Formats: sequence, C-alpha cells, structure tokens
Amino acid sequence: MWTFIIRRLLQSVIVIIGVTLISFVALQIGGDPTFLFVSERATPEEIEMIRKALGFDQPLHIQYLTYLGNILQGDFGNSLSYRQPAMDIVLGALPATIELTVFSMIFAIGLAIPFGVFAALYRGTPVDGGIMTLAMFGQSIPNFWLGIMMILFFGLYLNWFPISGHVPLIMPLLQGDFMTALTNIPSSIYYMVLPGVAVGFYSLSRNARLVRSSMLEVLGQDYVRTARSKGISERAVVINHALRNAWLPVVTMVGLEFGFLLGGVVVIETVFSWPGIGRLVFNAINQKDIPVVQASVIVLSVIFIALNLIVDLIYARIDPRVKL
Amino acid sequence: MPKTRHLLMASTAGMLLAGTAFAQVSDDTLVVGLSADITTFEPAAVSSRDNANVVRHIFDTLQSIEADGSVVPDLATNLSISEDGLAYTYTIEAGRTCHDGEALTAEDVAYSFNRAKDPANAFTGNTPGFVFSSVGFVDAVALSDTEVQINIGAPNQIAFGLLAEVYVHCKDSYEKMTLEQAATSPIGSGSYKLESWTPGSEVRLSKMSEPGTFQNILYRIIPEASTRSAELMAGNVDIITNVAPDQIDAINGSDTAAVQSIQGTRRMYVGFNLSPEFAAMPGGDAIQNPDVRRALQYAVDVPAICAQLLNFPCERATGIVNPPNANKSLTPYPYDPAKAEELLDAAGWPRQADGTRFTIRFQAGRGRYLNDENVVLAVAQYLSDVGLKVETDIMEWGSVYVPLIRERNVGPLFFLGSGGGLWSPLYDMTDLAKVDSGTNYTHWNDPRWFDRWTDIAASKSPEETRVIIDEMLQVFYDDGPWLHMYFQPDFYGVSKRLNWTARPDEKVYLFSATLN
Amino acid sequence: MTNLPDAFAIAPVTGSNFSRELRRAGRSMVAAKWPLLALAILFVVVVVAIFGPWLSPLDPNRQNIMMRLAGPMAPGPNGATFVMGSDALGRDVLSRLLYGARVSLMVGISAILVGGTLGTIAGLVSGYFGGWIDDVIMRLGDIQLAFPFILLAIMFLVVLGPGLVNLILVLGIGQWVTYARIVRAQTLSLREKEFVEAARAMGDSTTSIMFRTILPNIVAPLTVIASFNVASVILAEASLSFLGLGVPPETPTWGSMLAQSRDQLIANKWWLAVFPGMAIVVTVLSFNIIGDWLRDLLDPRLKERG
Repeated sequence: MWTFIIRRLLQSVIVIIGVTLISFVALQIGGDPTFLFVSERATPEEIEMIRKALGFDQPLHIQYLTYLGNILQGDFGNSLSYRQPAMDIVLGALPATIELTVFSMIFAIGLAIPFGVFAALYRGTPVDGGIMTLAMFGQSIPNFWLGIMMILFFGLYLNWFPISGHVPLIMPLLQGDFMTALTNIPSSIYYMVLPGVAVGFYSLSRNARLVRSSMLEVLGQDYVRTARSKGISERAVVINHALRNAWLPVVTMVGLEFGFLLGGVVVIETVFSWPGIGRLVFNAINQKDIPVVQASVIVLSVIFIALNLIVDLIYARIDPRVKL
Repeated sequence: MPKTRHLLMASTAGMLLAGTAFAQVSDDTLVVGLSADITTFEPAAVSSRDNANVVRHIFDTLQSIEADGSVVPDLATNLSISEDGLAYTYTIEAGRTCHDGEALTAEDVAYSFNRAKDPANAFTGNTPGFVFSSVGFVDAVALSDTEVQINIGAPNQIAFGLLAEVYVHCKDSYEKMTLEQAATSPIGSGSYKLESWTPGSEVRLSKMSEPGTFQNILYRIIPEASTRSAELMAGNVDIITNVAPDQIDAINGSDTAAVQSIQGTRRMYVGFNLSPEFAAMPGGDAIQNPDVRRALQYAVDVPAICAQLLNFPCERATGIVNPPNANKSLTPYPYDPAKAEELLDAAGWPRQADGTRFTIRFQAGRGRYLNDENVVLAVAQYLSDVGLKVETDIMEWGSVYVPLIRERNVGPLFFLGSGGGLWSPLYDMTDLAKVDSGTNYTHWNDPRWFDRWTDIAASKSPEETRVIIDEMLQVFYDDGPWLHMYFQPDFYGVSKRLNWTARPDEKVYLFSATLN
Repeated sequence: MTNLPDAFAIAPVTGSNFSRELRRAGRSMVAAKWPLLALAILFVVVVVAIFGPWLSPLDPNRQNIMMRLAGPMAPGPNGATFVMGSDALGRDVLSRLLYGARVSLMVGISAILVGGTLGTIAGLVSGYFGGWIDDVIMRLGDIQLAFPFILLAIMFLVVLGPGLVNLILVLGIGQWVTYARIVRAQTLSLREKEFVEAARAMGDSTTSIMFRTILPNIVAPLTVIASFNVASVILAEASLSFLGLGVPPETPTWGSMLAQSRDQLIANKWWLAVFPGMAIVVTVLSFNIIGDWLRDLLDPRLKERG
C-alpha cells in the first residue's frame, strides 16, 4: 500500500506542474497583462517600467521557470491587484469555499441516499415517481437560476433565510478562537442553506438516481433474495445487506463530487456574494492576476488529488476485491 | 427509520435557533452594498471609483471638490500659486491628528506626494498614474510645519483640482511599513479608520473624529445586481450602488427603499477609430470622412436608448464636456434616420444591391457601464437600420477589452465611457490634450482642436479661454471623432430609514448621512 | 480511479445479432412508454432546430426597444404578436426560442462529438497499446480532472473570447476524459478476447482492429454516456452564459436567454425565464429518460430483473 501511495504522490507532482503550465499558458496567450496595471495616461516609459517591475518583460519560458523555482522555495508571488502574497489571499478565501462545498456535499449525498433507497424500495409507486420527477427537474435547472429564485422567494418574499453573505466558521477555528467558532455555528449554517442547496441540488438529483439504481441492483442479487426467503424482516434485509453494499458507489461519489461541486461554486458564490475561492479566481482571471490564478489552481488541485487518494484508500478498505 | 427522524428534528431545531441569530441592521452602523471588490488600502494604488469612495473616509485631501463643482478647504486652509504657475503652496490646518496619534504636518503632506512618485514603489494608482502625469508633478517640499510647496512641470489651470485628489497619509507609520503592510493598514487623518477587511467580502470602518454621523460603516461586496436589490428591499442594506435599470421600479414599489436616479458626469460615446491601420479595415475607410461621421449622428435615437434601456430620461450630449460647461450654442443631433441616409448617399456610400452601405466592426467591453451590452446592441440595430452592416464584438471588459483600449487598438467603432467633472470644461477636454495622448483612443488629429491648446495655455482671462473652448467644442461637434451618446446616469438604492443624497460625480461620501 | 460503472460490461456485438438487438430495443421502448414520449419530444426539438428559421414568426434579432419587455400575446411590430412576450431589447421571445433550439442542440451535440471522438481515440490507443502511451494519456486525464472544469473553461473563454466554436471546443474538451476512461477499460478487456485475437491472426492492421473490431463493441455504452452528457453540456452552456462567457449576446441559446432573464426576475417578467427554462427542462429530461432506458436495455443484469 505504501508503494501505491508514494507512486500516487509522485504522479500528483506531475499533475500539479501540468496544471500550472496550462493556466500559465492560457493567461499569457491573451496578450501582455501589463496594460491592466497602468493608468490610462501612462507614458510608454512608465508602461515599460511597470512591465519590468511585474516581470512581464522576460521571455515566457523564463517567466514560467522562475515561477516554478520560486514555488519550490514556498514563494507563490504577490497578487497583482491586491499587492499581497497570492497564497495568503487564496488561503484566506479557501475556508468559505470549503464550508459551502462540504455543506452542499452533505446535503447532496446525505439526502440522495434516503431518497434513492426509498425510491428503490417503493419502486413503481408514487413515492418513486415523485422522487424521480424531482430528481429529473433538479438535473435540468441551471444553478444560478435556482439560486436567484431562492433568493427572491425564500429570502425576500418569505424572509426565511438570509439573502446573501457569510458567517465564518473554519476561519475562527484556524485562528484558535473556538468560542467564536462555536457561537457562529447556527448562523453560519443558516447563511449556508440557500447557496448550499443551489450548489448541491444537481448533485442531489443525480446521486439519488444513482443510489436508486445501485440499490435496485443489490436488491436483485441472489444473497438478498436468499435472506428474504429465510424470512428475515425487510428492514433487516435492507439495512444489513442492501445498504451495506449500495454505499460503495457513494464513497466514489464523494471524491468526484468535490470537483463537480467546486464548478458550481464559482457561479453560486457570485450570486450569493460568498467570499470564496470561486469568485476570487473568476475575478483574478478577468484581471489577469496570474499569481492568484496559479495559487488557486494549485490549491484546488492538491485538494482534489488528496481527496481522491483518500477515497481510493477507503475503497480498498471496504471492498476486499480492490487491491492497491 | 428512527435515525432519519432524529436527524430531521435536530436540524429543524437548529434552524429555529439560528433564526434568532439572523443579522439585523443596527442604528450605529451604515451598511453599503457595492458591486465591485475593494482591492487595496494603499493610498497611492487606489484607482477604481468604488475603492476611492471607501478610502476617502480614511484619508483627508488638501482640498475637496463639492457635488456642485465648488472647491472647499480640507487639510489646507489656504492655497497660493506662484507667478509662473509652477509652485502651489498650501497652508495646512493645525490640530489634525493621524490615526497613529501623531500630529499631521506639512511634512506628512510632502511625504505623501513624493512617496507616490517614487519609482521604487512602482505605484499605478490614480495619484501617480492620473494626477501626476496630468500636472507633470515634480516634487513636494515641506517649507515649515504648516506650509507645503508642490512643484509641477507646466502651468495648468486645473492643477489645483487634480492635486485635491491625492490622499494624504502619515509619514511615521508608513516609513515603518513594507508595501505589503501598507496595502492592508491605512493610516490617515480622516473621520474613519479601517477596522477590518475581508477581501471579496466586506470592509468595516469605525469613526475616529468629526465629521461623521454613524459610528461604523460596513461595506459589503455584492456583485450580482438582483442580490443587491433583494438585500436592499429586505432592509439589510442601507445604500446600494449600480442598481440595474430594470429593477428600479421593483425597488420603488417596495416600502423599504427608493432609488435616487441622478444625472452622472461620465461621458458615454461611440468612438470612431481614425488611425491609418483602421482606415484599411472595412468601414474604417468610410468613417475617415467627417460627413459620414456626422450622418451617423442622426441615425441613433439616443433619448430612446436612455428612456428604454437606462430607465432615465436624458438629453443627448453635444460633445466631450458636461452640460454646465458645454458650448451653449450647440443643440444635440436629433434622431433623423432619413437625413442620415441622405447624408450617407451624398458622402458616396449608397446602399448596395443587398441593402447595405458598408460593413463595420463595433467593439465593446461588457459589464463595466450601465447596461452596456444592451446599449451596444441597440446602437448596432440603429446603425443597421440606415444600411450599415454592423458586426458587434463584445468582449470581457478587464482581460480583453482594456488592453486593446490601452493600446488604442479598438474599432473601427467602439463603445466607451470617460469619467468627467463639473468643475472645469478643461478637465473633460483633457482626454484629448495631445494627438498621441494615451486617452485619445480615436487617433483624431484635427489641428483645429489640437493646435488650440497652446492658445488656452497663453490665454490671459477666463473669458478669453471660454471663447477658445467654445470654438474647439464646435469643431468637436461638427467633425469630431465621437458619436455623441449620453452622460451616464447613476442609480443608488437608498433605504427609507436613511437620509442621504447622492452626488452626480459617482462619489459616495457618507459623512453626513443620518437616520430618519 | 475506481469509478467505472460495471454496468457497461457487455457482450460483443457482431453483425448478425445487430438487427435482433434493434428489434429488442424497439419492443422495449414501446413497452416502457416514457422513452417513447421522450423520443417523440426530441424528434420535435430536432425538427424545430432544423426548421426554426421557417417556423419563427419574427426575426429573432430584430430589436424594438420601444416595445421591450412586453408580456405574452402583446401586440408586436407591424401587426405581429409577441406570442411569448418580448425581451429586454424588444426581441420576440418565441422566435429566439425557436432559433435557440438549433444553437443549443448544436452546441450540445457538437461538444459531445468533439469530446467523444477525442476520448474514444485516446481510450482506444491507451487501452490497446498500454505502456508509456497509456501512462501519458491517463496522466493528461488526471491533470484535467484535477482542474475544476469550469476554471479551465473560464480561462480559455476569457482569453479566446466567447464564440460558438470556442464554446464547443471547450465544452468538448471538458468531456474527453470520461469517454477515454470507459473506452480504455473496455479495450483492455476486449483486446484479449478471441474475436480480437482472430482478427490479429488474420493480419488486420492495428488501426483496423481498433476501429473496426473493438470500437463497434464499445459504441453502446458510449451512447448511454453521451445521452446523459448532452444534458449537462446544455446546463454548462447556461452557466457560462451567466458568467458572460457563452455565445455572443445576439446569438440566441436557451441557456443564454435564461441567463439574460436574471435582471428581470425581481421585476416579475416571468416569461423571459419560464419559456427557455421549460425548453431546457423538457429537452434535458428527454435525454435523461432515453439514457436511462438505453442503460437498462444494454445491462443484462438489470434486464433479467425485469
């Protein structure tokens, strides 16, 4: 297993270098970013001076290699628009995004399992029909639209939930302020409900369908039939046999879901003015704040890779057929 | 399943608990919803309007320009200008204190100016990038504790107004800070100091001294227009900027807030790029002819665009200068498509067999100006109606359009706005100070305009200057490089609990806002 | 990664039983009713996409800013009627919806074709040759998956500028890894099969084995994935439109119409969102139902269970 982990870690390094290269090239082919950082009345000499100061006068490959070299020394460069260390800014925005992503993942997977199980158990009944219809709609509604509609209905019209904003939870924890973190929990979750649902609704729908079909598959297996024929109660059959086997695909989902939910987060963070990494990186791309884009991309890739590694390890634990 | 039930009950209880923690506005805090992020608190790096509006509460300036364009003292009680117009000596009011406790003196003022210019700092904000390059700033010298002399490169009639935009900050603190620290910990002498800043999320200010009614100001960054409006209508925010025009009626229909629509000073126009490279492009050749440009002025129904797309009745611009300072003898071009077609025929661009006269590309950025994308599409429709084949090319504002603009490489038609002022016609006209000015995006080079700047510099009286200005504006109206559009209105959503009046110059100053 | 649904393990399809499979498919569809309805809806959508320009009552790009935001059935220009109302520039919503069918469907299907083709070739090569080629291709896939797709899309669309071709390329490239992984797994198991060995013994070229012998046996699961993906691509296009990175603003797509409606939602101009929204829901729903049905049809174990 250790060789597996080490091999995966080595591969990850290659992946991360690849990711930085892609984003570097993508941002550079649009032309010289210097013009975004000079005033409109700047003289050519001033522009040249700024270009030098920002390092954009170097050939592209030198710029990239210098950047890689700096990363190895832990220097991710300064944000061009904030003039602060890029990594600090990214890490400052990360907790809010993690909160939202985890919340929506819990929402999406936590509800998908009971929904999927019920739909499978009551296959063909109105329960199944209702859940699956909802799931179908959930897979056809763009998240930004759902978000705005929820703001108008649950936020403005019914006044049940806050419309936008964020109460930090992880940040005070990291700063060692446990009391604040503790007292923030209710309002933090309260603020998370609408954006979390908007991000997770598509996943909930897709996963409910996945769980349902995987459950149906297990329910049709011989050993479940045998258990049933032995007169074991339906509930025991479901809990002891069916659920235990049906949650394997769910573990896989967690790993893949993260990347997917992050995609939704970029859009939803804008709608709900959530101060996370999604909005940060979208703005950074628009302003060609290359160091911030790079740092975000690295952070996100590392999280994604680590999560998938963990998922694979758990998978190997619970499914004896998988060998690492 | 009992487990599920427990979970449901627990989460319902959690919701109810949380309900009580729902943040409500308080009487000592003013909440402002901004559409764009605040990126820096470094006084010499501030460049965007929103950023400046926040920072102005922290830093004082030498003088202030009021909403009506009048100049009033701030830090400086007196200004004397030398005979040659190159040395500006300000007398600093005694008794001002920096947030770090030190007294603010002339030395701090001189330091603020010189620090912004220092090439080692490589600042690109409004102070070094716009003010200093416009006045040709040389240096600042503290003559005594209360007197500071600012030296500029050439006589300039509006230099005092430009120098009034420079934020004065406190030497002792800044000398101890690195540039990184300075960007997050502003030390000024203004009414408010920075309490906390979460990039992309919020800025909190707290009151230090007069003037100022609210103990705290909270700026929240809310980029999505619908979300901003919803927060205002729900009563969680007191002021929002950039209300989407189509949401004005909804806000006015609510009982919590109303929109203040105000005629702004930003000059919106469709530029004709007249450079030789663009003359070689389709349509670029046609617009070289002033008769074609004039014809197109008649083709666009600007009042209709204002009324329909901006939800604001506006009078069409007659030129580059804001109405109070414009040439009063000029009347806006009327919407007269028949006349436009007639003039185009006469200029040698008749309709071809397919009904079009010529093809032309129309470039624009999106998301920067009020309803910009739709305004551009509407203008394209009007131009198509008189026989142009318009290819619109609408780009991402920051990363794509701005670099093109700065390289003066947009066109042949392009949509742009330029911030203006009410206090001097020359301020508005400075965009076209020289043929090769960075802001002459059209490459216009008519000597009847550009040669007159020497006359203005030599002018001995305001009356004499006014005559020259009017003559220049006449040329600009007849044969200029802009298809005149409008002065952009600004929409502020204001809570009914608040008593605050918006200004026409996009400045959002909250010192005098009070609760009703 | 271990996420391959093993529902895609299928028996080799050879020419002789192809028509039998087709008949079975037809019977199952008639029996199930919903897939039949879905297919009928898709047929209508395709007809609209092809004949939209002839069906639409008005020019979808003709503005009438004096008649903007008119409700459904409001009188339009020159005696016409805005059956589904007019948008923020006074363009006819119905006409844009009909034209939008063409662009939305084209974006969806072309993106799948681009991604599917790239992915299939990569997967075939990767699975058939193995070794370092396999390693390189799979690492490329990892790189892409480690990168939230939307970031990649934003980055390239911001820089290249939004446009139909760029959009299709980006959405397509976003899909290739899924296909490559499935095709690779299938190829790995198929390349040792007897009928592949036989083809090799007959002296068939490598290309011929890959594309003529192996590929036909993988097409079925690919179709299932594709039918699900069309739906997600249509939604991705809507999200990119929201960020201003979709098609150019004058080009109508359902996603961009929905994105453009967002400033008007608070003012209750429901027709701007409801009609394109319904079009998306119905189409996506149909693709999903067809995908479900195809999967059930192709998975022997599910079939057994009845």
